[in-house]
Amino acid sequence: MTGDARGGDHPGQPGGAPESLATRQARLVDALTSGQPVPDGFDLRKVDAARVALLRKRAGEVARQWPMLAASFGERWKPSFAAWAAARPTQGSLRDGWDLARDLLSRDALPATAGEELAEREARWSYDGASAPRPRRGPAVRSAAGAVVLQIAGRVRVIRRAA
Amino acid sequence: MADDAYGVGIGWRPEISGFVAGLPGLRFAEVVAESVHAHGDLPEGLPQLLDRGVTVVPHGVRLSLGGAEPVEPERVTHLAAVAERLGAPLVSEHIAFVRAAGVEAGHLLPIPRSREAIDAVVANVARTRRELSVPIALEPIAALFDWPDNELSEADFLTEILDRTDALLLLDVANVYANARNRGEDPLELLGKLPLDRVAYVHVAGGAEHQGLYHDTHTDAVPRAVLDLVAELCARHRPPALMLERDGDYPPAGELRAELDAIAAASGYPAIT
Repeated sequence: MTGDARGGDHPGQPGGAPESLATRQARLVDALTSGQPVPDGFDLRKVDAARVALLRKRAGEVARQWPMLAASFGERWKPSFAAWAAARPTQGSLRDGWDLARDLLSRDALPATAGEELAEREARWSYDGASAPRPRRGPAVRSAAGAVVLQIAGRVRVIRRAA
Repeated sequence: MADDAYGVGIGWRPEISGFVAGLPGLRFAEVVAESVHAHGDLPEGLPQLLDRGVTVVPHGVRLSLGGAEPVEPERVTHLAAVAERLGAPLVSEHIAFVRAAGVEAGHLLPIPRSREAIDAVVANVARTRRELSVPIALEPIAALFDWPDNELSEADFLTEILDRTDALLLLDVANVYANARNRGEDPLELLGKLPLDRVAYVHVAGGAEHQGLYHDTHTDAVPRAVLDLVAELCARHRPPALMLERDGDYPPAGELRAELDAIAAASGYPAIT
């Protein structure tokens, strides 16, 4: 993010105008969600504890939306999601899980058990990666990690299960 | 809330809808406002509660009343519409911010205890109240960290916000406990300075300690110390309603019932189980 709301490059420098509440709130959110430095004066240990707690909370929310994706990681789900999401502010749990699944797919790292879940959503919804997913109007066939899913008139059928 | 007491309630969540429906003495519940459609179908299970005469209060979590930016009008409109749909006697939200410059934090974040932040909250509550036909109760949050530039004590900060907004107080006893524990303060000291006559209702929730900090998780059991604080609060000024807030890792029904009974015992209200 750039722009005037964030102030100059030298926050809080002596003699500079005090930063607005909007700027300081934006800096704090950046530190918690985008791996940016924690603003001066905060207790680093406590802010980091909040950052980690926030990532784990997000992991839980994404797991509710994407149960197979989360299950495919087993015990490693929360740390794995947290590592992926550490510098990616949330776009909501539906899109967060979707982005992660596509990211894994593009690296041939999407587990087969999560492929059907992704293919089913891809067949049902149109998602451009930048705005809210929308229901597809026409029929669609989508595949992911070996699973193939057909959607017609909003109904989905698994054509082929992942191996 | 209304003049008469509601007693013990619970935060309604879809995962425990069946459990909540089976509470014979239930008279009030809370629902996350953003989980309710303003005009579409209500979540399954809620209409039955309303038909039974259970009062259901919408609890907003995404307004960002403490944000320096103005609240988003469509979010306010939604909250007002949900309150009307549920026939709620009031709504509630937090003294917190959840986004800044278009980036979502994903959680409730503390605001500085400063004049500038108070002005921001007061302006946002005023914008919200213009659309609401019922009162709003404001909840102070649990925060793992504080801003470095706090000008006011927590009691003075909250009292000034309540005075200037004419809002009610949603007091979360678990938040009071968590903040006091993490700051090395006495929770009773804050209770003694808050305007307890303005408490609309009370949240009670569980948490757990990780690496020296107490986290208000809502996914762990309610600690004895929080129940003791409930008892102390009720001895000083018993609020009209207290409710259990549980947001995940739901335990077996027997454990949830025991937590509700423990809140009843600590407050002196009848058990609802």
